Amino acid sequence: MKNRMKTFWALLKLEFWEHKGSFFKTPIIIGVVLVVMALLSYFTTDRIVLDVSGGDNLQLAIGSLQQVSDDKINFALDVLMLMTGSLYHFILFIVVFFFLLGSLYDDRKDGSILFYKSLPVSDTQTVLSKIITAILVAPVSFVFGLVVSHLLMFIVISLILLINGLNPFTILWSNVSFIENWGAFMVGCLVQALWALPLYGWLLFASSVAKRRPFLLAVFAPLMAGFIWYWYNALVNLNLFKFGFFQTIGMLFAKATTPFATGIGHNDFENVDFDPTEHTSGEVIHNMLNGLMQIELLYGLLFATVTIGLAIYIRRYRNTV
Amino acid sequence: MSALLKAHNLNKHYGKFQALKNINIDINRGKVVGLIGPNGAGKTTLLKAVLGLAPCDGDLSVLGIDPFKKRAELMKDICFIADVAVLPKWIQVSQLLDYTEQVHPNFNRNKAEDLIAKTKVNLKHKVKELSKGMVAQLHLAIVMAIDAQLLVLDEPTLGLDILFRKEFYDNLINDYFNNERTIIITTHQVEEIEHILTDVVFIKDGEIVLNSDMESLTRDFFEVMVSQDNYEKAMTLEPLTVKKVFGRYIMLFKAASRQQVEILGEVQRPSVSDLFVAIMKEGQS
Repeated sequence: MKNRMKTFWALLKLEFWEHKGSFFKTPIIIGVVLVVMALLSYFTTDRIVLDVSGGDNLQLAIGSLQQVSDDKINFALDVLMLMTGSLYHFILFIVVFFFLLGSLYDDRKDGSILFYKSLPVSDTQTVLSKIITAILVAPVSFVFGLVVSHLLMFIVISLILLINGLNPFTILWSNVSFIENWGAFMVGCLVQALWALPLYGWLLFASSVAKRRPFLLAVFAPLMAGFIWYWYNALVNLNLFKFGFFQTIGMLFAKATTPFATGIGHNDFENVDFDPTEHTSGEVIHNMLNGLMQIELLYGLLFATVTIGLAIYIRRYRNTV
Repeated sequence: MSALLKAHNLNKHYGKFQALKNINIDINRGKVVGLIGPNGAGKTTLLKAVLGLAPCDGDLSVLGIDPFKKRAELMKDICFIADVAVLPKWIQVSQLLDYTEQVHPNFNRNKAEDLIAKTKVNLKHKVKELSKGMVAQLHLAIVMAIDAQLLVLDEPTLGLDILFRKEFYDNLINDYFNNERTIIITTHQVEEIEHILTDVVFIKDGEIVLNSDMESLTRDFFEVMVSQDNYEKAMTLEPLTVKKVFGRYIMLFKAASRQQVEILGEVQRPSVSDLFVAIMKEGQS
């Protein structure tokens, strides 16, 4: 047991080393880009416009900060932090999507599976390490990346405030709800992982089974199946469940990319957009956790178990190089 | 001495194509076995079965374990280099050592680092920055630092230049091999490993056509320089191959005794590669 834990830990480290670029650098690069964009807009406009949040709140806050109450600044900062958090969730999903597509395919393509299989590591451990990387290692890296990005943004804003003769500590730092906003992102990552798990399982399966181009298999096979299902129902069953298949996939994608919104709009999820100005981070956390009570999540987890099981089976018995 | 590897009636089909046909072989401890056959003969299929990478029909036991059922467990005591340059390209040498150290109970990191220090490979290098020969050296260093009972090498030096190849096998025999360990090697360059083998197994069309230790090989096969005068007489003994060189004939015989062929001319021990060619051509003509 102890040895297995040691092996598993080594496998997670291996995944992190291999994907350090996408897991670790991506969020920080995006943070830097956001800051640079903010600075550009600051330096290229006559007025002091910090348009990162897209809201008038921040502009207003900086324009006449001393008159603005702490509540409003706090609210504006919440919006900024939740919006960047939501953006990071989306990017995290994309990163994990491509990580999983390659995870059981790339080493078969370049032959390094022969090295991995020459070590006393079971295929079950290998496949499980990939899924744990998707739902824990990558999100933890992104949490770190988001924290660094936020701090970077606040430092830059502080400098701008200082240049304009304002005190960043009373205006900015004392008004940031670090715990609630970062907490919302962390809970969001967990909720995202749960909702995305059936998609992740499918990607692992596609990655293990694909002879070449797992992307095509992962994306076009369901599309084909969906179209057949659609026409079958449209022509034979007279429209009874014709939207079911795509609707389910669409819902999963929507929930997997914007976990903040998973708790709102149970029945009409496609039409719900996450608007950070309408919810506080506390409400977002509360909604997300409530959203987990949906029966669809359970079906999703069942589907994930089956696909991950299949991926293990294929890695073990069919990926014989 | 009990056999380390026992195969009994191994068969393997790929659709209608039969890659292995009733393979029966026992390999004992302390042997260096050359598994030699033309492309597509079934060498790699057999090795994959031995390593638990692919299933096959029949009874196969390696160290008393069914390889396909318990690959992960078996890999504690078996090492293999399945191909040149299969180490992951992105990894750093030190990370590779870290990983192997954590997952392999029989890996000796200090030994690996000592072996690597003798090459041009640096711990900070990434595998993709190394030449093909250096990757092979690195892989060999890792494998040699693992205290395994069986080492399987499938074309480990393919595409390397002759200096690397020679050094590779010298290191293997001098620093690694002892009477407790067993090595199975497949290669196309038979002549280069001939001197280190204790046994040879020829495989052709999925069947074992020769399984012999090197001593009986010298006892059973003879290469004779036959002059023109003895040509007719020699042909009655049905040589396996005949080559004409500088007006004389070089003939390969499988004979009951040395005396039988000695009268025909100068007798030499045939090289494994000549023998291989002769046996592979047998039945084709």
